Amino acid sequence: MTSTAQPIRADAAITVAPVGDHGWRWRLRLAYVLLIGYAILMFVPFAWSLITSFKTLPDSVRMTVVPDPFTLQGWDYAITKLTPPMPVLFLNSAIIAGIVTVTNLVLGSLAGYAFARLRFPGRELLFLVVLATLMIPDQLRLVPVYLILNGIGLTRGLGQYVGVILVIAISGTSIFLLRQYFLSIPKDLEEAARIDGAGFFTTFVRVMLPLATPALSAVAILTFQGTWNGFFWPLILLQDQSHYTLPIGLLFFRTAGGFATNYPPLMATVVMATLPILVLYLFFQRYFVEGIAASGVKG
Amino acid sequence: MTAAIQPRTRGAPTKGRAEAVAGYLFIAVPMVMFLVLNVGSIFYALYISLWKWNLRSGPVSFMGLDNYTKAINDPVFQTAIKNSVYYAVVWVPLTMAIGLFLAVIVNQKIRGKTFFRAAFYFPAIASSAAITTLWIFIMAPDGIFNQLRGGFGLNPLFSLLGFTPAQNWIGDQATALNSIIILNAWTTSGTFMLFYLASLQSISHEVYEAAAVDGANAWQNFWRITFPLLRPGHYFVATVAVIGALQLFDQALIGGGVNGDPNNALMTMVLYLYNAAFKQFNFSFAAAIGIILFVVIFTATLVQRRLFGTAPAW
Repeated sequence: MTSTAQPIRADAAITVAPVGDHGWRWRLRLAYVLLIGYAILMFVPFAWSLITSFKTLPDSVRMTVVPDPFTLQGWDYAITKLTPPMPVLFLNSAIIAGIVTVTNLVLGSLAGYAFARLRFPGRELLFLVVLATLMIPDQLRLVPVYLILNGIGLTRGLGQYVGVILVIAISGTSIFLLRQYFLSIPKDLEEAARIDGAGFFTTFVRVMLPLATPALSAVAILTFQGTWNGFFWPLILLQDQSHYTLPIGLLFFRTAGGFATNYPPLMATVVMATLPILVLYLFFQRYFVEGIAASGVKG
Repeated sequence: MTAAIQPRTRGAPTKGRAEAVAGYLFIAVPMVMFLVLNVGSIFYALYISLWKWNLRSGPVSFMGLDNYTKAINDPVFQTAIKNSVYYAVVWVPLTMAIGLFLAVIVNQKIRGKTFFRAAFYFPAIASSAAITTLWIFIMAPDGIFNQLRGGFGLNPLFSLLGFTPAQNWIGDQATALNSIIILNAWTTSGTFMLFYLASLQSISHEVYEAAAVDGANAWQNFWRITFPLLRPGHYFVATVAVIGALQLFDQALIGGGVNGDPNNALMTMVLYLYNAAFKQFNFSFAAAIGIILFVVIFTATLVQRRLFGTAPAW
């Protein structure tokens, strides 16, 4: 919100509209109306899902903004009557996203630091392998990864969680983003620590990690969001309904059973699938935006 | 000087070796995982695709390239390729145009640009499953979209285009894929806006100042300066977009089920692969589709690079 502090100056507007154009002020107002209208349009579908979740089924197909009557039946149905129930889906999503975020931070920062700062034979070649993983489509890996995990029992029982976490435990993007950040940190502090006799691991933990907080935050946010929303690998590797995450549960409700048109509980599940990310976005909007932009610069 | 060099040459190999050991240890876990589950899996997929494969016992008999010829000759796979390419051809330019438009607007000196940037990116934060479920609800025959257009008196216009007041947008073969295109243009344009914003920041103000001296207006500024100078940005966004488009899957599966209903309207290359693996349980066939998909994406990327990437900016 920095820009709200600085009012539009005349000279700034001149770059947009030629001098002597009497209509520009009016056109600027029209532009704002359009912009605000478009911005509101971005939120309308989500607001609609929230409103619908508090409606009764007959009311859910009516184009009314206020639920009549206002009811928690949809939420009750989603929480107690859906199979698998929404709290189970929520918990599965939270556990997998939480663990994958931690593994990406730990493994990504270690590897990112090594690729940025430590010298060892084959470093550039191995980093090329990291970049290559970004270009291999997940679909190509579907069959071999499934067969490997199936062969070692990670597609059954609790192993399903392990399997899905293993596949996404570390991404090339996390390593890449953290390496770029470590490269940008001046070497002085690190060298001072080395002179004091600190080992590589101590230097990394005590000196470099605290300096990398912004990059770690961005990786944490992007990984959590990506894993929470993840569809492909949970779909392939979570076979039991009781292990489903929210997105897979939504697919299941949509394609199986009689839930496809029971809109209020369906929309309650949509709200629950979106809400945690929405909260993160409200508080850490900067990291979303900067993380996406930074991962975009790699090209 | 010699005295100073002496300890270094003696100490360097051990220090260097310790550093190398630390380096290898720091990258060991990810590298093993990448080599097994990423790079290695390509070769494994190639191998599997040449064999008749049993889920329990592995290779049964050698098939050579049978899986590949079978795929290429399957009309459903041809439809899948056609749908994926159609999606890429329509969705990529549309979403790039919206993303660029939003980026240029948010890059102006306007009030509340942080708010607008956050709002325009907002649809991108939700999961594909949630947003597609929501979209299906909105576009249902009795959904809010059909009611809204009726309420605004737009039904005569829609009936001119051949749509009834209760058009089933996702369930009708003629409109299913286009409905998904609009959904994904809406959700992804915010991401492309951020990519373009990063690219816009690299254009120096002096170019615009020079243009202002020459009396250029905003329209000329955009087409003669901004658009051509954004060439690296266009190239990057287009590459990412085409790769993503050819992998269309989530929305197709949620919208049309494992067969891409209705009548293969939502059958995409990846959905076809998923269908082969987890509906027909024909893993070697699915592996062959994966290889074909990889070749298609790789070729598309190379063609784009040849066309737009290495040529000098104009």
